[in-house]
Amino acid sequence: MKNKIIMFWVIVAIVIASVFTIYKKPTKLGLDLVGGSRIMLEAQTTPSVPKITPDTMSRLQTAIENRVNKLGVSETTVAQVGEKRLLIEIPGVMDSKEAEQILGKTAQLEFKQPVLDANGKQKMDQMGQPVWESAGLTGEDLKDANLSTNQAGQWTVNLEFNAKGATTFGELTSKLVGQPMAIYFDGDQISAPVIREPIYGGRAEISGGDSGFSPEEAQRMVDLLKAGALPVPSDIIQENTVGPTLGATSIEKSKFASVVGIGLVMLFMIMMYAVPGIIADIALIVYGLILFALFKIFGVVLTLAGIAGFVLSIGMAVDANILIFERTKEELRAGRNLFTAINSGFDRAWASIFDSNMTTILTCVILYFLGTSVVKGFALTLFIGILVSLFTAVTVTRNMMHIIFGTGELKYPKLFGLKKEEIGQATVFEETKREKARFGILD
Amino acid sequence: MFNFNKNGLHVVKHRVLWMCLSALLIVPGIVAMIYSMITYPTHSPLKVGIDYTGGSILQYETSAQVSNADVNTTREALTKEGITNTYIQVLKDTSGNSDAKSMVSIRTKFIDEGSEEAAKITQVVESQYKDAQLVQFTSVGPTLSSELFRLSFIALLVAILGIIAYISFRFEFKYAVSAIAGLIHDVLFVMGVFSILGLLCNVEVDGLFLTAILTVIGYSVNDTIVTYDRIRENLRYNGKRMSFGEIVDASVQQTITRSINTSMTTFLALAALYFFGGVTTRDFVLAMMLGVLIGTYSSIFFCSMLIDFWMERANAPKRPAIEG
Repeated sequence: MKNKIIMFWVIVAIVIASVFTIYKKPTKLGLDLVGGSRIMLEAQTTPSVPKITPDTMSRLQTAIENRVNKLGVSETTVAQVGEKRLLIEIPGVMDSKEAEQILGKTAQLEFKQPVLDANGKQKMDQMGQPVWESAGLTGEDLKDANLSTNQAGQWTVNLEFNAKGATTFGELTSKLVGQPMAIYFDGDQISAPVIREPIYGGRAEISGGDSGFSPEEAQRMVDLLKAGALPVPSDIIQENTVGPTLGATSIEKSKFASVVGIGLVMLFMIMMYAVPGIIADIALIVYGLILFALFKIFGVVLTLAGIAGFVLSIGMAVDANILIFERTKEELRAGRNLFTAINSGFDRAWASIFDSNMTTILTCVILYFLGTSVVKGFALTLFIGILVSLFTAVTVTRNMMHIIFGTGELKYPKLFGLKKEEIGQATVFEETKREKARFGILD
Repeated sequence: MFNFNKNGLHVVKHRVLWMCLSALLIVPGIVAMIYSMITYPTHSPLKVGIDYTGGSILQYETSAQVSNADVNTTREALTKEGITNTYIQVLKDTSGNSDAKSMVSIRTKFIDEGSEEAAKITQVVESQYKDAQLVQFTSVGPTLSSELFRLSFIALLVAILGIIAYISFRFEFKYAVSAIAGLIHDVLFVMGVFSILGLLCNVEVDGLFLTAILTVIGYSVNDTIVTYDRIRENLRYNGKRMSFGEIVDASVQQTITRSINTSMTTFLALAALYFFGGVTTRDFVLAMMLGVLIGTYSSIFFCSMLIDFWMERANAPKRPAIEG
């Protein structure tokens, strides 16, 4: 009995710690609940980069992180998924168009020089368009970029080259005096000004050509140039944007559904098992508290699928109790005394509880390693749920059963949802002496 | 609530009945799946959503009451804009609130949210429905969808192998095979129902459906193991006095209340989610509810009958020796 009282206080301490954790730590809600965008990018190989290496990925991730930070939204995450994918999560914004435009651009700035024909004039292709070739100067040679306006009142992007870039740019402009030089951004020609004099000093200015830049266009270009070009182009392969209103409704509905679900399960347990049912319900509340506290400690992000997993685990958490109580009832029907019935109820049900939960844990592990991120969330919540339920449904319930019922006689079979005439009626298979000792049967 | 202890329940004796019942539950679904594989352009046994085919879904919330005629108007308007092959679905709020909103969901080929097509669709919907608002945009590229298909298959296979290994280790190989047969029985039933729902009500399965199926697998085996565990225990005490069939019957009787009660609690929790939870996870929850029901049935009747059938055959020549 002394051990049981110690155990009881240990359980109380765990519950208090759980309540404290739940109170102190914020809940992390998934994007499907708060609203926001999830975008999956896949790095694409190019002729110059035929293979995506971990180094390419980390550079890509840094560049994307820089860009996402430019959006000015807090709690964004950029995480690598698999070998060549990045998962970007931006909470709160429904208008993900801007995010998408920023993410999709490679931000490859390139300077090109004309290809000359035999007469020293720029070559034209069959369509009558001038032909350009790379001038060996790109966005990688930049040190900084910023926004300003020129004398004509147009928006311009000012470039500042690094030492190497400044030298190359100086040589290029001195070579091209009197000729045009084209500036390409992500494959589009922005402008092709004619060079009037060599430009040394490492500074240049891009205006938007004849049509000019809109302030937004110029600003975005500056942002992208500052964040750095992507080492390889990347495609959006999956996208999910949830509006904040839908998220709010989902939270409300899920909360309500969970409360109803838990309520129904608790009611059912009381109807079926009377006093032990109430004990199972208390264990279920303990289960909910510990589980929720663990979610917060591990930083589990609560998603819709996660909530479904949680509610499912509520239904399954009482399974162990049902197994135990059914077994205890059986032992009581067989005329065993109360203490023995409770003990052997627990001991004999344990093999079933262990084996049956192991298979569910097995599928959880498989889901976790093979599933998509949504599926992972579900598997993780179910997994933690099973482990906690093993503790609450077995240890907590057993402890309370012993403390409440003690070792006395069962005077009121109704407490177990049994009828008086049922006691001692059922026949029980005979055990050997060793087995009797194992299950603590004293007769 | 359910007490079969007195009247007794003869799983083994009514073997043919349970076989027929199982056939009745599964065959229509298999027919639907074969029919689907022949008729669908994707040649899949179930109607698959964008998670598996690639594509985009735009969901709008509106306070207007949306009828089938409205949906046709929208489709025609979209076709005029050059957006063809759309699939439009209306999800109604069942919570019974008077200010409940309808959800119009439009499925197209794979597009970006910032694309011209997306803007056109939004424009069409906003002009047709009152207070229409884009609330959810989902897009899955073709590379990802084919990969998900492959992963789903691997996950199912690994789960089945893992369970066979575990049960063989804890019980016997024969038990493992019977449990797996029960599991396939359950999965076929749930897939069959969704295949029929796909044909009749255009219900599509997504990545979450795989999760539901795997949960059903875990649950089904969970239930079966409890029954098998009892068979194992009874066999240890009474293996010499009773035939295997009698032991199976006794074990089923002893575990049936527990099986039904556990299913009840799980089912109640899921039902609350189904009726009061969000629309997005409704099919997912439905799949699990079906799985819980069929899992209980199969663990009580189908798997027990199967293990007895197999054991009886294996032991047939030896039996006289044991009894004598």
